[in-house]
Amino acid sequence: MAEPAPLQLSKRRVTRRFPIACLLCALAALMLIPISSRLPAQTRPSQYDVEAAYLLDFGKFTQFSNDSQALRKATFDVCIVGRDPIGPTIDKLAANDTVENRAVRVLRDANASQARTCAIAYFNSHDDDLTRESLNLLAGADVLTVGDSPNFLKDGGMVQFVVETNHVRFAVNLDAVRKTHLVLSSQLLRVALYVEGHPKPEAGP
Amino acid sequence: MSIWNSRTISGKLTRINLLMSGTALVLAYISFLAYGLYTLRGNLISSLTAEASIVGENSVTALMFDDRQAAQATLSALQSSPQIQWAAIVRPDGTVFARYVRNASNPPELGAKLAPGQKVGHWQRGQGILLASRIEFQGKPVGEVYLLAATADLARSAIEFGIISAGILLLCFLIALLATSAFRRLLTEPLNSLAETAQAVSRERDYSMRAKTPRSGDELAALVQSFNEMLDQIQERDRALETSRIDLEERVRDRTAELTTANKELEAFTYSVAHDLRGPLQQINNIGFLLEQAEDNFPTMPQTRALIDKLGSGTRRMSMLIEDLLNLSRATSTPLHRTPIDLSSMAEEILAGLQAEDSSRHVAITVEKGARAIADEGLIHVVLENVLRNAWKYTSKTPAAEIGFSYAEESAGPVFSVHDNGAGFNPQYADRLFKPFQRLHSQNEFPGTGIGLATAYRIVTRHGGRIWAKGKVNGGAEFCFTLPYVAEP
Repeated sequence: MAEPAPLQLSKRRVTRRFPIACLLCALAALMLIPISSRLPAQTRPSQYDVEAAYLLDFGKFTQFSNDSQALRKATFDVCIVGRDPIGPTIDKLAANDTVENRAVRVLRDANASQARTCAIAYFNSHDDDLTRESLNLLAGADVLTVGDSPNFLKDGGMVQFVVETNHVRFAVNLDAVRKTHLVLSSQLLRVALYVEGHPKPEAGP
Repeated sequence: MSIWNSRTISGKLTRINLLMSGTALVLAYISFLAYGLYTLRGNLISSLTAEASIVGENSVTALMFDDRQAAQATLSALQSSPQIQWAAIVRPDGTVFARYVRNASNPPELGAKLAPGQKVGHWQRGQGILLASRIEFQGKPVGEVYLLAATADLARSAIEFGIISAGILLLCFLIALLATSAFRRLLTEPLNSLAETAQAVSRERDYSMRAKTPRSGDELAALVQSFNEMLDQIQERDRALETSRIDLEERVRDRTAELTTANKELEAFTYSVAHDLRGPLQQINNIGFLLEQAEDNFPTMPQTRALIDKLGSGTRRMSMLIEDLLNLSRATSTPLHRTPIDLSSMAEEILAGLQAEDSSRHVAITVEKGARAIADEGLIHVVLENVLRNAWKYTSKTPAAEIGFSYAEESAGPVFSVHDNGAGFNPQYADRLFKPFQRLHSQNEFPGTGIGLATAYRIVTRHGGRIWAKGKVNGGAEFCFTLPYVAEP
């Protein structure tokens, strides 16, 4: 894996010293982009691609109670509340994946009441007020709330994406999870960047 | 050198036993070792598989959520497995996600890859085994885990196994040796006892010995029993032979005693007859002498003188016969007193006596000097007198009579001979010459008693010598005899 920080530093130094040369190089690079974009394995996935993939994987490591509205449905619904930056990727992934033996369905522009019937609700960070409001409405519902705003866990969210050294990680707020019937797998918690709150005291083995 | 070159059966048995048990044990050791190694390898692979599976299970989320530290932590747990030298978690695209190296010097070389669809695979990597296991989550591959385990443990286990097996092998050898000593008691000792008895019997010819019968009741016991029965039979036969021999000896002794008694009686009879005849004969002789005196003084009839002469010659012949018979009897019964004697002078003396008896005769006499022997003087005198008198008598009708005494030294001792050129005899009847009262000439031709040569024969025979005669009709005769002397110890 290349280490990104020193690379960026060197870039900056180069642009300062040789601006014209860099411009020419950038032009050449731009000309090459369409070609490289056709080579899928070589492009590094974006933050949202990773978030989309993780979103489905969270579902796989979450235990939904059989009474939850999400499991009463034939599909595993993922609601996107607010803006949708992960749309194209999640559509692709959803088409080839199942969670809880159900086909994955993506519902966009969902409001809070719609989100209550979903298994996972995703909140983009562009509108923190909407997020906070929706989380309040969803409090106690068996919906795994996932977001990428910096205060997502403080606002009552369960899983928050954290970008650390250009690396998408996540943090968990167990207090929020504890208010619902959801159980997050210990395996998931093990790879979390950090975990806030405490698990359910009566949680069985 | 063959392994069968032992001289004893027990040695052979020991060797066969050791060879067979040794072979069996070595084969068993090799197969157990091979099986053990195979099992150990199998166990190692299955434990590696289990560890890979655990690592894989624990790395699922790390892989899915790109958490290298968590994967690294999972791999670090492998420190408790000393056999694992190197481990790696690899993403589906082949890039190494996390790595664990036990020994920094160990070069982490993958060099092998799971085929698509293959869940577990293992490869031999020099001294180690490389095992790969696919990590799956809900049926989908999320990565692979590679474990490199050193088989040094395997080799150490093999050595430990070998040491244990060698110990067992040694134990088995000891048991085999013990079994051999049991063999010895069961098989060899009875055989040895049998062989020793057989040798002792053949060496000492003592058929009363018996081999000890083993209590086992097997073929060996039967063999020993048959051997003993054979000895029984031999002993029985020996006893029968001994009995018959003793019986035979007794019979021989009885017969010999009977014969000796008869002979002694006969000799006593002969002696007493001869001795007792002398008295009456002397009386007849005396009466003849008186008659002759009376006739000289008072002649009666012309025939009387002739009758008195006949009476005289009759009594003389009778006297000679009695003398000869007594000589014969003495020759048999008198004990031998050997002394050194000079036969030449003895012959000369006898011949001089004969010449004196009949001085009218002219006989050419030759006596070879120096004939000596160690013998009974009186008896040898009788022999020489008889033989020389014989020669004197049978040359009486020969015009130029010759009588000679000579001897010849031979390897077995001197051979003495008396030869003459007298009437001789028919050699066909030579064996009859030495039998008593057997005469080859008539009383009218040459008077004699027929006892002289028989007496000579007995005396020479008693001396252990031989006497024989050579001659032909009117061609003279030669009498030879030997007198061997062996000093008594």
